[in-house]
Amino acid sequence: MPIPSPRSWPLSIKLSLTITTVVTVVGFMIGTVMVVQDWKRFHDELGEKALLLSESIAITAPKAILRNDHWSLYLSLKNMASRRPGTGGNHQVITAMILDPEGRVLAHLQPAENPMGLHFSPDKGVEQDLFIRALGTRTPIVLSSGGYSRTGFQEGVVPLFSDQKYMGVVRVRLSVSQLYEKAKSTAAIVLVLILFFVIIGSALGTIVSRRMVKPLTAVTQGLEAVGRGEMTDFAPIPVKERDEIGRLSVTFNQIMAELAEKKMLEEEIAMSEKLIALGRITAGVAHEVNNPLAGLLNCVDTLRKHPDDKKLIDRYLPVIDQGLHRIKDIVHNLLVGLKIEESQETVNIEHVDKLYDLIAAENRDRNIDIIWKNNTDKNLNIPGKIEQIVYNLLKNAVEILPDGGRVAFHMHQSGQHLIIEVSDNGPGIPSNIRNQLFDPFFTTKINGSGLGLWVVYRLVQSMEGIIEVISEKDQGTTFHVAVPIITTRAA
Amino acid sequence: MRLIYLVLFFWITPTYSADTEASIRFGLTAVVLTENLRFLDQWSEYLEHKIDRKVEFVLRKSYREVMDLLDTGDIEFAWICGYPYVQIRKPEFLQLLTVPVYRGAPRYYSYIIVHHKSPYKRFSDLKGKLFAFSDPDSNSGFLYPLVLLAEKGNKPETFFRQTFFTFNHAETVQAVSEQVADGGAVDSYIWEYLAVFKPEITEKTRIIKKSPGFGFPPIVSRVGVNRDTVKLMKDTLENMNQDSTGKILLDRLKLDGFGHFPDSLFNEIRAMANRIQRSDSKYTMSPID
Repeated sequence: MPIPSPRSWPLSIKLSLTITTVVTVVGFMIGTVMVVQDWKRFHDELGEKALLLSESIAITAPKAILRNDHWSLYLSLKNMASRRPGTGGNHQVITAMILDPEGRVLAHLQPAENPMGLHFSPDKGVEQDLFIRALGTRTPIVLSSGGYSRTGFQEGVVPLFSDQKYMGVVRVRLSVSQLYEKAKSTAAIVLVLILFFVIIGSALGTIVSRRMVKPLTAVTQGLEAVGRGEMTDFAPIPVKERDEIGRLSVTFNQIMAELAEKKMLEEEIAMSEKLIALGRITAGVAHEVNNPLAGLLNCVDTLRKHPDDKKLIDRYLPVIDQGLHRIKDIVHNLLVGLKIEESQETVNIEHVDKLYDLIAAENRDRNIDIIWKNNTDKNLNIPGKIEQIVYNLLKNAVEILPDGGRVAFHMHQSGQHLIIEVSDNGPGIPSNIRNQLFDPFFTTKINGSGLGLWVVYRLVQSMEGIIEVISEKDQGTTFHVAVPIITTRAA
Repeated sequence: MRLIYLVLFFWITPTYSADTEASIRFGLTAVVLTENLRFLDQWSEYLEHKIDRKVEFVLRKSYREVMDLLDTGDIEFAWICGYPYVQIRKPEFLQLLTVPVYRGAPRYYSYIIVHHKSPYKRFSDLKGKLFAFSDPDSNSGFLYPLVLLAEKGNKPETFFRQTFFTFNHAETVQAVSEQVADGGAVDSYIWEYLAVFKPEITEKTRIIKKSPGFGFPPIVSRVGVNRDTVKLMKDTLENMNQDSTGKILLDRLKLDGFGHFPDSLFNEIRAMANRIQRSDSKYTMSPID
């Protein structure tokens, strides 16, 4: 599994990693400083101890040198080196020597290698340098070598004077190896402590960052839910702090609550609108069917009373026929409008052109000017619904026009869409009723059913198309329809 | 009543005076190992018990200091080396008390020792080397090697690169064992004593020359000390091997006992001292007078 880029890591991990890193770095820095300081302090103390030991030798040495008592000089070095038998002491004498002004050995802790009376012969470059510095000094000094290594040492160098005459030098060299071991164990303790604090710090950091980031995670999840449109099952983020994140959480909770309320309201509105529409349809059907029915029932009643009156029969029968046809039309339109989804039939585009003849025939006596323009591909197959749309729009336009009016039909393709435009030079639609234009049973015509444009609207909607109305008072009206035809292109 | 008090007074006085009588002071030098203070306490207790007087051992670093104490009368007895004993003093303030018997005879030797890993086989191999003497007033630790050198017409300052005194036979052994000195001259009694009690030191040394026998370092009394005290001390020491406590103490000293021997026992040392005195007065003791 590939590790994702740090940029996409969760904030809680990044925060706790940062805290852990900071704690570790700070811990190690403090630890290093502690160990180094500790080392320096003990190192300096070791130097002072070496100097002190040299000085203790230097007190008695001049007299012994004057007496030529080399054995006493040697014993003083030896006793000094084994001052704490058994305990091991807190220092370790590597070597000690007393040299005369010419650098000859007066006494040496390793007499076999450094015979008395012969010139002290340091071998290495460092040793030679230390030897020269020891012989050169006329004041007590501490010479260091080896730095932080376990083979390092501190050397106390004390020049010997008798009656202001320089008589030689005492050198006592202490090993830092015990110091080194001490520093090592201190470092180990410090390391363990640091690790302990790192673990504690990291755990605390993780807990703190988790707690800090938790509301942010909830906000993010909430926003993602909003993006998906799920808002109802959102649980409010618990707010414990009053900091920026706390305030963000509070605000977010409010926004979510308001969004949820809005959605609920919208749903309620949609529901009530549905009920209103249903009511309107019901009322429309009741009204539109009831009107002819009253007349029909009247006619039937009259005919039943005068079954032999031929005059009455001739007069009422066409009325009954007309009324029943009207009811049939209304029911047909309602069925068309309500069952549009079921219709999947396609027809050739030329079927639309036949409507010209139909409309022209229906309005032959009204002197309506019909301008017909079809710029589409003649082989195009279109849903049958389009034929109905065009017929309804043309019929609507013609009905609103006074005699001698003009209707223009224009159909063409634009990309994957079929564009239909039906314009008239009629009186236009008043702006106050434009919202109700596509409502069922809404009509301004005396004999209109109020279902024609509603059916158009429903058909366009079912094809996921768009219908627009451009209209101004006394400037005519244009219906503009765009429906996708990509799925209905002839194979 | 008064008489009774008077009688009581005289009766008490001797006891009182005996208690307060100055203790017998006995000087010790490095001819014996003086580090063992517990042994010295036991020995002084033994002598106190026998002599019925407090005995106090007086320790000094060098033979010279002990000789000075004898001269000034600060000590009554001393265990000294044969070399100071044979010195001519005017007036003489020493007299021979008794001589320790060591391994059946009142004799001991001077050992010339070197480090056991050193290549030196003969005394002449030590030419140009570093040599440790014990005490400038010691027969075995100084006079004998001087004579050895003088026999070949040499002197220490020209024969050896450097010399030093340890003022203590045991420390001479230590100096050689620790290679501070390439060679050294020691008392055979001390070396053998160390070989028993501190073999780790003597194991690091090797004897390359053993001198002829010399009179064992004697115990002397100061001229002028109460004759009875001298006799009591002499008898006590010479009879130590007669009782168990004395035997235990003698065993600790690794001695057979103490015995009466004539002054002629020290003629060899006397001859060597004279020889050195003739050749170079620098190495002889200045007359103490």
